[in-house]
Order: sequence, then C-alpha cells, then structure tokens
Amino acid sequence: MSQKIQPQTSNLQLPISNLQIYLAMVRKQLIVMTRYPIDFLTSFVQIFLIILLFSFAAIMFESPGASASGESSGSGAVMMYGFVLFMFASDTLWSIGYNIREEQYQGTLESLYLTPASKFASLVSRVTTIVIWTGLLSIAAIIFVQFFLGRLPFHNVGLAAVILVFTLAGTFGIGFAFAAYTLLVKESAQATANFLEFAIMILCGMFFPFRALPEIVQMISRAIPLSYAVDAFRSTLMGYPRGFPELAPIETEIAIVIAFGILSPIIGYWLYQRAERRARIVGSLAEF
Amino acid sequence: MRLRILSRYPGFRLLDIIMPTFIAAMPILLGQAIGGGAVRAAQNFQANTGTTNYVAYLLIGSNVFMMVSGTMWNVGYWLRREAETGTLEALYLAPTGRGAILAGIALYGNLRMMVNFILAFTLGALVFGVNPLQGDILLALVFLFIGLIPLFGIALLYGAIILRIKEANALIRLAQWAASLLMGLFFPIAIFPGWLRFIALAFPPTWMNNGVRASLLGVGFFFEQWYFDLAMLGAFCVIVPLLGYRLFIRTERSVQRDAGVGEF
Repeated sequence: MSQKIQPQTSNLQLPISNLQIYLAMVRKQLIVMTRYPIDFLTSFVQIFLIILLFSFAAIMFESPGASASGESSGSGAVMMYGFVLFMFASDTLWSIGYNIREEQYQGTLESLYLTPASKFASLVSRVTTIVIWTGLLSIAAIIFVQFFLGRLPFHNVGLAAVILVFTLAGTFGIGFAFAAYTLLVKESAQATANFLEFAIMILCGMFFPFRALPEIVQMISRAIPLSYAVDAFRSTLMGYPRGFPELAPIETEIAIVIAFGILSPIIGYWLYQRAERRARIVGSLAEF
Repeated sequence: MRLRILSRYPGFRLLDIIMPTFIAAMPILLGQAIGGGAVRAAQNFQANTGTTNYVAYLLIGSNVFMMVSGTMWNVGYWLRREAETGTLEALYLAPTGRGAILAGIALYGNLRMMVNFILAFTLGALVFGVNPLQGDILLALVFLFIGLIPLFGIALLYGAIILRIKEANALIRLAQWAASLLMGLFFPIAIFPGWLRFIALAFPPTWMNNGVRASLLGVGFFFEQWYFDLAMLGAFCVIVPLLGYRLFIRTERSVQRDAGVGEF
C-alpha cells in the first residue's frame, strides 16, 4: 500500500519560512562579519585611500585655479557617483561566488545543500550584509570627498535610489551567473574576477565620462546594460547637466536598467541552478 | 619549482601583463575627461608635474606598482600556500638553510617581476601609442634592479605578518593601497602635505618609482642628481632587508615555539 507524503507547509507558510531562512542566514553572515573587526576597519580605510588616490590623480589634470572656480566638483561628481555604484556592483557581482568558494574550502557547501533551506535565500543572504555595509561606506565616502573636490551636486535622490535598486538586482543576476562559473572552474574564477573587475571599471565608465573612451570601446560599452545604469545613476544625481546622460535619453536608460534588474536575476539564477545540478551529477560540489 | 607552478596557470601570467595597462587607463581617461581633451590634459599635467607625457608617466607608475605589489605578496603568498597545502611544517623540518629558501623565493619573484615589467610596459606603450624607448633606459633599469633589493626586505616584513596573523588578506590589501598612495602611483609626492611627504620618502618604492620616471621622462630626481637618489636607494638596500630578515626570523621562531607553523 502506497501512502502519499503530504507537504509539511502550506502555500502561505512557504514564503514566510523562506523569509525566516533568509533572515537566519543574514544573521549568520553578520555574526561571521563581526568576528573580523580588522576587515571592517580596513575596508573603511581602504575606501578613503582609493578616493585620495583618484582625487590626487584628478587634481594633476585640472587647470590652475579649477578648484577655486568649482570646476572640479563636476568631474568629482562623475568620479564619485561612479565609484559608489562600482562599490555596490562589485559587492553583488563577486560576493556570491566568493562565498560559494569559501563554503567549499570549509567543507560546508555539500552539507548546506542537503538541508531543505531555500538555496535562493542562501545565495542572496550572502550579499545583504555587505550591501548594507557598503551603503554606510558610500555615505561616509561622499561626505569625505566634499572636503577635496568641493560640494557635489545632489539632485533627484528618489529616482537615483530606484535606479540603484534595479542596478543591484541586475548585478545580483550577474553574481548568480558568476557563482555558476565558480562552481565549474573553481580556482580560476579568482583570476577571471580580477580581470572582469578592471574591465568593468573601464568599459562601464565608472570613474570618468563615457566620452573619454575611444569610439570603438564606446561601442562595447553600449552593449553592456551596466553602462546605462552607471550613466543614468550619476546623471540623475547630477541633475542632468549639459551632455548627460551620454549614452541614450534618460527614459531609454531607465527602461534598460529596469529590464536589466528584472531579467538578469532570472537568467542568472537559472544558470546557477544548471551549474549546481551539473556539479551534483559529476560529484564536484565539495571539490575545490 | 615556483616558475613551474606559474607555468601551469596561463591566466595569471596574462593578467600580470595586462593589469598595468588597465590600472593606467583609468587615470588617463579620467585626466582626458577633466582636461577636456588630450592636448589640454597634457598641458595641465605639465603644469603640475613637469612633463606633458602623462601616458608614459602613468604607465611607469602602474608598472612599478605592480612590481611592488607582486614582490610584497611573493613571500607572504608562498608561506600561505605552503601552510594551506600542508607542506610548510615539512619544509621547516628539511635540512635546508632558511636563507637558501628565501633567496630562491626572491629570485623567482624578481625574475617574474622584471619580465612582467618589460612586457607590460611595452604592451601599454603600444596600446596608448607611446614610444617605450625614450630617455635613459639603462639608468631606469638600474633604479628598478636596485629597488628590488629593499622591496624584498619589505616582502619579508609582510611574510612575518602572514606568519603571525595568518588570514591577513584584508591588512595586506590595505597595505597595497597605502603603498600605491605613498609611492605616487598617479602623481608626484610633492602634492602631499609635509608630514605625508616625509613618510613617503621613508618608503623605498617612492625612490624607485621616481628614479624610473626621472630617468625616462626627465621629471627631476629628489636630490637633483641621479647618483644621490641612487645612493639613497642603496642605503635602503642595506637597512630594509636586514630589518625584514631579522623580524622574519624572530616571528618564525616565536610561531614555532607556539606550534603554529602548520596551522592556517
């Protein structure tokens, strides 16, 4: 006699239990983070060193008296808002993959995947705490940079926040895809991440306007949705000065960013599931 | 052995060569955007640094930085890898002098960094359309070679930190950014306030970086004459490796006493 096993949770309970799992994993990540106070401190100081480095570089190219005329705050805004987006994008892009590697090193990935916990919640929780920390760092960095480059333009905060949210959702998607790649190539993922990080900095014009790029490179930039996110985010915060946004009208850029934010996580998670299934079939989930 | 391991990772070798061009590209593009075109950027850059050739200036900075960063990581990364693969304790029990092992590590690092510098600088010059064969190349190479000796001393200090606190990645990353700032990766250190300039001048890579720039681009030596700057770098060659070696051996002994060599 066969007896059908009834599911333990109702449809209503499922999202609640997923949320609980997500919160529990965020808490776990937070506890791990707080156990490394030096990492906290160094990431904070590191941001200021990077800003100093690029601010000094920018000063070298300014005409004499540019700081007094307020000319430098315009270029400072392009650099700074690009940098803020870079910090967020960098967290979401690589953190999921790095965390997967970490679990593999510690030997806990296979056992974690044997639990009935939602894998999606597990993956997203890995970035949540870092994103919150980056938010705080960004605020501190924007305040700090005003001492060097003068008052930065600060407009349309609501719309900029919407663009940031969709951009983060989009980069989450790429993060899932990168985690899939990490499961497949293991150690080589580190070199790829290093390379892509710098490639994105340049192709997506994180620290300079797109017009500084050669025409052929601009064509590549226009094929990357993240470029539109960078352009839309900083142009919105700068109040659309003449020449901004550079890649397309703002309505078009926002539409691209929203599509990126919706489609990228779906495609990225699908890729991750495929890679994970493959790793389970060939028995390489715990290998590193 | 290290060279053989490296030969098995072509991705890392490629990254070594293209990274300096990426690093230099950011301030170059930023500068052109700020200056409002390549010509005005060059004029502004000359007013601030003494040379119009900002592309070569930044390329030299990024290549020397990669050399500094690679050498700094060399000893620390080797120790960490040996500990993680479980061979460090066994290596320490082998009847081989510590000096010979460290010299081997240094030779590998220096060879890799010099080859990288030449290839990466040539690649960057080709990408940005700059003549790589300008200025006093021989003198620039002398500054590079001599500069590698105190760098190895700093690498030993790094190694001591890794031996002591093990998972020191965050600290090392921070030190890398601090090094890039102090050595004037994208700018001359004359821009610093007095106290920071003093710290920068106590950091050997600053002399190495400026020596190469001054030899190739004529931006001026710290002591006006190249031989005074080289003598200063020579003094660092004696002090820093001695200091680094003593600290490394002390830390090593202390870690061995605490039974922490095999732990990671």
